This record gives sequence, C-alpha cells and structure tokens, in this order.
Amino acid sequence: MAGLKTIIALSFVLAIGFLLVILSAALYHNYLTLLVVATYVIAPLPNWICGRAANPDDFMESSGSGVIDFGRFLTGFLVVMGIALPALLYHSAQILGGAMVMSIIGGLLIYGTIISFTLFFQEEQEF
Amino acid sequence: MSSHRLFRFPRPAWLNSANTRTFGVYTAGALFSLGFYLLIDCAVFSKSAMNPSDPPVHITFVDWIPGICSALGMLVINSIDKSRLSADSFSYSGNGVAWKARLVLFLGFALLAGGLAGSVVILVLKYVVPEYTWPTIWMGVGNVVANGLVMLSSAVLWVAQNMEDEYTYNLAL
Repeated sequence: MAGLKTIIALSFVLAIGFLLVILSAALYHNYLTLLVVATYVIAPLPNWICGRAANPDDFMESSGSGVIDFGRFLTGFLVVMGIALPALLYHSAQILGGAMVMSIIGGLLIYGTIISFTLFFQEEQEF
Repeated sequence: MSSHRLFRFPRPAWLNSANTRTFGVYTAGALFSLGFYLLIDCAVFSKSAMNPSDPPVHITFVDWIPGICSALGMLVINSIDKSRLSADSFSYSGNGVAWKARLVLFLGFALLAGGLAGSVVILVLKYVVPEYTWPTIWMGVGNVVANGLVMLSSAVLWVAQNMEDEYTYNLAL
C-alpha cells in the first residue's frame, strides 16, 4: 500500500525538480529554461486524453488503437522535447552549460514524479 | 504457423508482446522529436552568435523543404490502414481499395526518400561545394541527420503497428 511516505517522498522530489529548474533560470538571469517545466507538465496529457477517446473494449475494430498510438507518439515526442530544448538553447548560446544541465535534471525529476504518482495511485480505480 | 516458416531462425517471442509494441510507438515519437528539434536547432544556430560564417550563411526556405517532405511522407504512410493493403482478396471493401492504398503508400515512401535525398543535395550543393568548415557545415549535416531520424521513426512506427496486427491475430485464435 502506497501511503503517506510515498506522497511525502514524491512531493520532496517534485520540489527538488522545481528548485533545480527555477535555479537554472534565476541564477543565470535567463528565463528560457522555464519552458522545460511547461513541456513536462503537458507530457502526460496526450495519453490521458487519447485513452479516454479510444474504446478499449472492442477487439475486432482497430480504429481505437490508432488514437491510443497517436497519444503515445505525442508523449514520446514531448519527453524527448524536454531534453532536446535545453540542448538546443545551449548549442545556440542562448543559455549556459550549467543552466542546461540543471534544467534537464530538474525536468526529468518533475516528469518522473508525475509518472510514478500515476503508477502508485492507479490501482485504487480497479473494479 | 510453424510449418509455413521460411527462415531457419524463428522470430523471437518478445516481438509479439503488447509491451514491445507500446515501446516501439514511444520510441518512434522520441526519434521524430529528435529529428524535429535537430531541424529547429539548425535554424536557431543559423541566427545565433555561434554562427561564425563571414559572409553570413543562413538557413533559408530551401533548407526546410526536405524536412517538410519527410514529415508529410511519414504522415501519409502511417495514416493508411495496413489491413487495406491486402483487401482485394476479400471483396467486401469495394473496388480496388488495395490498389489505391498501394498508390498512396508509394507516394508516401517517395516523399520520405525524396526528403532524405533532398537534404543530401542541400548539404553537398550549399555547404560542401563552397568548402565551408565545421561549425558552418553543421547546418547541412544536421539537416541530413534530422531527415534520417524522421525516416527511422517512420520505420519503427510501421514495424510496431504491424506487430499489433500479429498480436490481435494471435489473440483472436
């Protein structure tokens, strides 16, 4: 049973992630790295929306799985975008190397928190 | 099933699991994202202070054409319902559906290959022949790599979706 300790640990990790991203923006006086937070907050949304849109019950029609696949495709796109965006900004000398590393690590922590939160608290909805 | 096998080595069993298919779709999205952001990276790099070329060399619309072609080709290929490719053997689906599907699929593959070839053309004609050096030539190399990644992503998505057909077939039996 995932209980109080899990929630505390997850919120702790989430806070560290946000701290890293905000620090990477504020330390270097360049707020472009905050885009990473927006990316990772949006990243789980396509799966939720497309999971609602598709009907998981029918086996014969493959029309529903196309929508689900599209949602997964978008999720993969957004997750890599969170890493690719700071690297792109660093390569074009918009942000410094330290800001890139901090925002990538912070973004991965935030996304990991969201994913593990949905994993831990999914089971209660089962039947 | 096993008596109709053509090759010596059987296909590994994990290729048919639903998890592999899901992973394949995620991977396709990740690869497409990498390709897309390589293109954006070339464009941003061209306008940034890191671009050392003097007379300045910039990304123009010509550099975008291969990427647009590749993305369109990927869209066309993966929009097609794969079961329609052999639809003529069952005549319920109207006249010549498989023929139309193959024609559209051919157009998609031509767009994809044309995008990759076009990016190589741009790399050679715009960057290699005038003998630019490394940081400038990145704008051409990145374009080629980006188009290759879009092609790879399309292939991964194609294989993953065919996997799904096999999976549902096994489930139905």
